[in-house]
Amino acid sequence: MNFLRRVFGLTDASRSADDEGIQITQEFEAETRPEEPVIEAPHDGATPVAPNGGAGTGADADTDPLLEESLGMMIGTRPLPHLESVMLRPGQRLTFGQLSDIGMVRTNNQDAILSVHVSSASTDDLPEFGLFIVADGMGGHHDGEKAASITTRIVTQHVMGEIFMTMLEQKMDDPDRPAITEVLREALQRANRAVSEQIPEGGTTATLATVIGDLAYIAHVGDSRAYQITDEGIEQITRDHSLVQRLIELDQLTPEEAAEHPQRNVLYRAIGQNETLDVDAITRRLPPRSRLLLCSDGLWNLVPEETIREISARHSSPQEVCERLVKLANERGGPDNISVIVIQAPG
Amino acid sequence: MLQVGSVLQGRYRITGVIGVGGMGSVYQARDLRFPNVVRYVAVKEMLNLTTDQGMREMTLRTFERESDMLASLSHPAIPGIYDYFPSKTRAYLVMEYINGRDLDAILSASNERLPVSLVQQWAVELCDVLGYLHAQEPEPIIFRDVKPSNIMIDQHGRLRLVDFGIAKIFQQGQKGTMIGTEGYSAPEQYRGEANPASDVYGIGATLHHLLTGRDPRLEPPFTFADRPIREVNPDVPPEFEAVVMKALSFDPADRYPNAGAMKEALLQIVGPAPVAGAQPAAAHVDESAIWDTASSGVAALWRFCCEDEVRSSPVVHRGVVYVGAYDNNLYALNAADGTFRWKYPTSEGISSSPAVADAENLVLFGSLDQLLYAVDTRLGQLSWTVATHGAVQSSPAIAHGHVFFGSDDGNLYAVRLATGRVQWKWPGGVPIRSRPLVAGEMIVVGLESGDVVGIDLAGQMIWRFKAKRAVVSSPAERDGLVFFGSMDWHVYALDLARGWKVWSFRTNKPVVSSPAIGEDKLFIGSVDGSLYALDLSSGKEKWHFETAGQITSSPVYSEGAVYFGGIDGKVYSVEAKSGRLRWSYETGGPIPSSPALYEGVVYIGSMDHCIYALKA
Repeated sequence: MNFLRRVFGLTDASRSADDEGIQITQEFEAETRPEEPVIEAPHDGATPVAPNGGAGTGADADTDPLLEESLGMMIGTRPLPHLESVMLRPGQRLTFGQLSDIGMVRTNNQDAILSVHVSSASTDDLPEFGLFIVADGMGGHHDGEKAASITTRIVTQHVMGEIFMTMLEQKMDDPDRPAITEVLREALQRANRAVSEQIPEGGTTATLATVIGDLAYIAHVGDSRAYQITDEGIEQITRDHSLVQRLIELDQLTPEEAAEHPQRNVLYRAIGQNETLDVDAITRRLPPRSRLLLCSDGLWNLVPEETIREISARHSSPQEVCERLVKLANERGGPDNISVIVIQAPG
Repeated sequence: MLQVGSVLQGRYRITGVIGVGGMGSVYQARDLRFPNVVRYVAVKEMLNLTTDQGMREMTLRTFERESDMLASLSHPAIPGIYDYFPSKTRAYLVMEYINGRDLDAILSASNERLPVSLVQQWAVELCDVLGYLHAQEPEPIIFRDVKPSNIMIDQHGRLRLVDFGIAKIFQQGQKGTMIGTEGYSAPEQYRGEANPASDVYGIGATLHHLLTGRDPRLEPPFTFADRPIREVNPDVPPEFEAVVMKALSFDPADRYPNAGAMKEALLQIVGPAPVAGAQPAAAHVDESAIWDTASSGVAALWRFCCEDEVRSSPVVHRGVVYVGAYDNNLYALNAADGTFRWKYPTSEGISSSPAVADAENLVLFGSLDQLLYAVDTRLGQLSWTVATHGAVQSSPAIAHGHVFFGSDDGNLYAVRLATGRVQWKWPGGVPIRSRPLVAGEMIVVGLESGDVVGIDLAGQMIWRFKAKRAVVSSPAERDGLVFFGSMDWHVYALDLARGWKVWSFRTNKPVVSSPAIGEDKLFIGSVDGSLYALDLSSGKEKWHFETAGQITSSPVYSEGAVYFGGIDGKVYSVEAKSGRLRWSYETGGPIPSSPALYEGVVYIGSMDHCIYALKA
């Protein structure tokens, strides 16, 4: 258990790892800021230091089973209680909030969300890692919610195994490993196969963000969305795979007409639809203190992006932003399930 | 739903179900008025589910009007209408029973591709019947729903049009998110507009599906142009492809105005049976037309010739072009007219490209004579040199008051611009020929071993990425990602801070060219002869442009256009958005040099010994 304590930091700072407690924190000494760039001539006899290789001979291969087991314990998908998960002060490191709500009309919540955050301080200098997923299921007889939850599980399994475990093994620079965007594509394709086999009548959207250091890797299928919010404004960084979006791109519809269009709910790409799945991949740098917001259409159909930006600007806590946004969508009728994840970059 | 055996109007005994839909079913029935022969009819049932009294009556009236219209038509491909009888909650239409299969069933049953000549024949028949509808007076009849499942091939092999969309009148808006689009409808139909050209789009979509086997319902809507027919099915004559693609234009004005006009176009190509190996006349003409404008589209403003090949890429700074040549000289020319300012002789050829340090008034360049030279830009006088122990083929990079460059002696050098003093050198062990990238506090450089390393400003290696073959391509950076090509045929994107692979893209030959960035795309050439445009953040190919030779030149992006040279001797300018050729200019030799853009002019060297200035 001592080892787990070290890797996952099951300390006071992270509270207990309850059913949703995927807040994984490690506390060591305070990080010291790197100094200003200096180009110095080396001292006589100084030999260049070969990096990755030497440092960090920590516990590696022999501890994997433990890691996997404990991750399995911590990764739940539903139900999703309102999280008061953010213990750290914003600014020190990545923080996030999440909320999934049934809305005011539906009798079940077909959305699924899942968040993982790992933060550390050690000589290994592991970058901050996060994985965040929003899936909006569709289909009757609970097929939609099953498709969404299967997707969050399979994606998490694959990304944690292929990226996070590889980070711990210090093998991310292995040239034969699949590229990060390939891992994310494969994660959604695996989810696609699983949903097709297990829930043939169901389908789901999926928008996921993997954060490594100051880079966010986004993979996306369907009409859930990712927005980037900075001091300059808000930008939608995913493209809806919907019929009306295509019509807007072809200048056949205005966004206003699209909002009223009888076929505005028609997707042309989703998980569980087809044997092959084309996944959009997007990479974004997260400037300090900027936010990444993932949401299902239950939010963006009712709350325009400028309002999202305003609410984000007004609240310093990401969890608070989630709660305000869900509240507003519900005040506006809440006809659909509403899910939001807000991730704030350190700085 | 009606049970088998039940009798409608005392006349039609239901014998089976042909199809079940949300708004009602279609039955096979026997007409009991002909007791001595078995005469089948199709009975279409439509449920009138609207609860509002007024709406229900209106629906019924529309139905009657449509039935009347249908009954008045006469065409061999349109099934005969025998009878109809509406009631409060439903309406029945009795029509000719067609013994055959619809094209949807034929498509899903056939593992092999349908013979092109057969599809061509169906295309003419389909246009014939829809042309008949479009020619109706006073108003053309618009079918609105041309798709494989509405087209049948009967037992005689004739094409028949079924389901005149009357059921649509009864449909109400459906709720909830759904997957899958109709796939065959024209864009304007989603705005509620339909005209004969909308049916033309449906014909095009149906033919595209028949010829490629790719179901448009499983593809993003309106993306037929992204799946060129002949790429999937080379048996299709280019003229046939051209007719189908014209029918699929987004803008109705660009399509055939009606099915009759499309039929005419099809007959033009069907008439004389296509001869195998014959020249595709139409496509040929188009292509040469492009080339004509291309070769005449640009003229050289000036050219300056030296005594040997120009492989180095020029830089332009404050109205002066600096370029190295294999005649050992670095030339400074006036950008405006190509007149000579000065030259500086080294002891061997110059293959690397110069860099200008503005504040220090220095132009820096390496020579095969193992030296890096710093020459005063104003007079062409030497300021200082750095001696290495190998040819300097790496082009220098300038940042933070230093110049960074690699040498064939295996070292990466950091030299203070003010003094020419070596601050540090990082030993790579193998020749370093790519231009280092300095992005913030990170230096990234490629090695002949295929390693790409991230080095901090103190000369300490932070990370190492191993490509399978040499990296001579110079890295480029955008938003925390670093991009380069390798002789292992791939283009890579890495996390700048850690060197972790973000994506890779495989070309069909080694990549020597260095990437350029513009419009969220990465442009890079390959020895396979193509210039590729890749999505910056995912590595997905946006387009590629094929040339007649290798591309080792590095592209440059400027104001919506990409410029590069080809080993085929041409300078190319293509649209950054589409990869369409803007112009090309033929020089007298291969072009490994990369262009420089300055005030609307492209400067580039050629192995014909000359430097060219072309209007961008």
